[in-house]
Amino acid sequence: MNPFSRPTQSWRPVIAVMAIAGLALLPAMGADAGHAAHDTAHAAAAHATASHGSDHGHAAVSAFSLKQIAHSYLTAYMFCLSLCVGSLFLTLAHHLFDAGWSASIRRVTETLASLLFPWMLILALPIIGFAWTGNLHAWFKIDPATDHALDVKKVLFNPAAFTVMVPVLLTLLGLMARNIRAWSIAQDKDGAAHWTTKSRKLAAGGIFFFAIGTTLLCFLLMKSLQHQFFSTMYGVYYFAGSVWTTLITLYLLTMWLAQPGRPLEKVYFKRQQQDLGVLFFAFTVFYAYIHFSQYFLIWNAAIPEETFWYVLREVGSWKWVGMTILFGHFFVPFLLLLNQDIKRNLSVMIPVGAWAWLMHYIDMTYNIMPVIHPDGLHLTLWDPIFWIGLSVLLARLFWSEYRKNPPYPQKDPRLQEAIVHHEVPAPGASAAH
Amino acid sequence: MSSNPSKPHGLLAEFHTAADIFEAAIRCRDAGFTKWDVHTPFPIHGMDEAMGLRKSPVGWFTFCGGFTGFFTGMTMIWYMNKFDYPLVVGGKPLFTPLFAFPVSYEMTILLSAFGTLFGMFFLNRLPKFHNPLFKNERFKKSTDDRFFICIESADPKFGLEATRAFLTEKCHAAVVELVED
Repeated sequence: MNPFSRPTQSWRPVIAVMAIAGLALLPAMGADAGHAAHDTAHAAAAHATASHGSDHGHAAVSAFSLKQIAHSYLTAYMFCLSLCVGSLFLTLAHHLFDAGWSASIRRVTETLASLLFPWMLILALPIIGFAWTGNLHAWFKIDPATDHALDVKKVLFNPAAFTVMVPVLLTLLGLMARNIRAWSIAQDKDGAAHWTTKSRKLAAGGIFFFAIGTTLLCFLLMKSLQHQFFSTMYGVYYFAGSVWTTLITLYLLTMWLAQPGRPLEKVYFKRQQQDLGVLFFAFTVFYAYIHFSQYFLIWNAAIPEETFWYVLREVGSWKWVGMTILFGHFFVPFLLLLNQDIKRNLSVMIPVGAWAWLMHYIDMTYNIMPVIHPDGLHLTLWDPIFWIGLSVLLARLFWSEYRKNPPYPQKDPRLQEAIVHHEVPAPGASAAH
Repeated sequence: MSSNPSKPHGLLAEFHTAADIFEAAIRCRDAGFTKWDVHTPFPIHGMDEAMGLRKSPVGWFTFCGGFTGFFTGMTMIWYMNKFDYPLVVGGKPLFTPLFAFPVSYEMTILLSAFGTLFGMFFLNRLPKFHNPLFKNERFKKSTDDRFFICIESADPKFGLEATRAFLTEKCHAAVVELVED
């Protein structure tokens, strides 16, 4: 029986491409608007550094400006990129550790990761368009000679490097994911072990490229919105939040796919569920550790050139957004998931999953939005539109890719380890009596 | 040293495979034994359930240790930097949870680990210097290639002959008697 019974609807991706193309052309249509509010981030940063300035008001951006659309889109994009990047990491980690337990759910991460190319690349094109028209990164319009912070970072932060590196990084990461997935699918047919060996070799080198590539991507796309920043751990910060979000997504997705009559029913057990829950818990702590370290080092050194990034984020309601991340991203899930059995309790884990998505989105907002709204959190209609829109698009792309192939690696040498399941009869039900 | 040298400590049943002892553990559990244990050369997945073990309460000791550690760290730094000997360092506030956090965090880990270790000792009634099992020559193979179940005579359901018959006939094991010494 084919677990994916519905026929493919091939027109949906066409509409998606047209929508993205429309969005990519949007910045070109209103290119002039970008010049009007020149260099908001730069000005705001300068204010915060010089004095804890009170006149942030003039920097506010109207809800229908391209700047607002660009930043809302970038926030949603970084959220979706998290899921792809996190999935790629989990796939690589599976091969690096020669893991057994995750063999039965690996096709899900393989598929999500392979959306990096071409889909996340196509979705990144509007960002490049927004940047070129001066609606995102201030440094696209600043002469490095007039800005010391930019001058020392201009090797990386210049329009040409941005335009080349973002697509190239997404392509290379995506091709790595597609290769591993293609080998896994090839193994479904012949069951040869050499496909696994090939993936392991690629993962061994690929994990380094993954680390460098992901770091560069989040520096280029997100952190450099305020190019005066100082942080050596921003890459791992984005990585930690990404894998955190990916793990709970994977938890809920595989749980759903393992329901009776669905494709993972016979290969997904308590063990996979528990292990995903434990990893999610571990990354809750890891993310907090990384984010606290970044904050603490900057706070403790108290050098104005470094502190501005957080000083800006303590203005107005941003302070409460930060508190929401501290408590909502760490303390609430941490204390909730301390108990061993909770990690298999769906009436807790499903709300935690929805909460984690919200927290990661707020985390992305906290990183991106203070640039155009220095006074405090300012939500517009664009935020939910892009967040839900891109997430739904990603989900549909995932599903159309996932159903094309067997739902789990059919002849993986480690599959047997993943699905060994000890059926222990309940007390009183055994043959002893 | 015991007042009654022939008092039985329990029965030791020997198995050759993990599957055999797994089945036998389920039978022992369902027979209602409470003072018994399984000894294997390596961990066997699902054995907790097969033995009907409840979740270990050690986690509560860990939690209490961690909780104590966190607040000890915070209180210690508040006491030293703000209350007992106020000292401005680098223009920072006299107390904030921020700089107290790394210390509190390490204290959390340290006391969690102590809680886990000593909680486990307490629950297992350790340290204990002797167990009649150690005198049994065959039992040494439990670290090599044999699997053992020991049912103690302290178990309310224990009867020397009945339990021996249960282990040999229902569980198909080679059984030896252990005596207190």
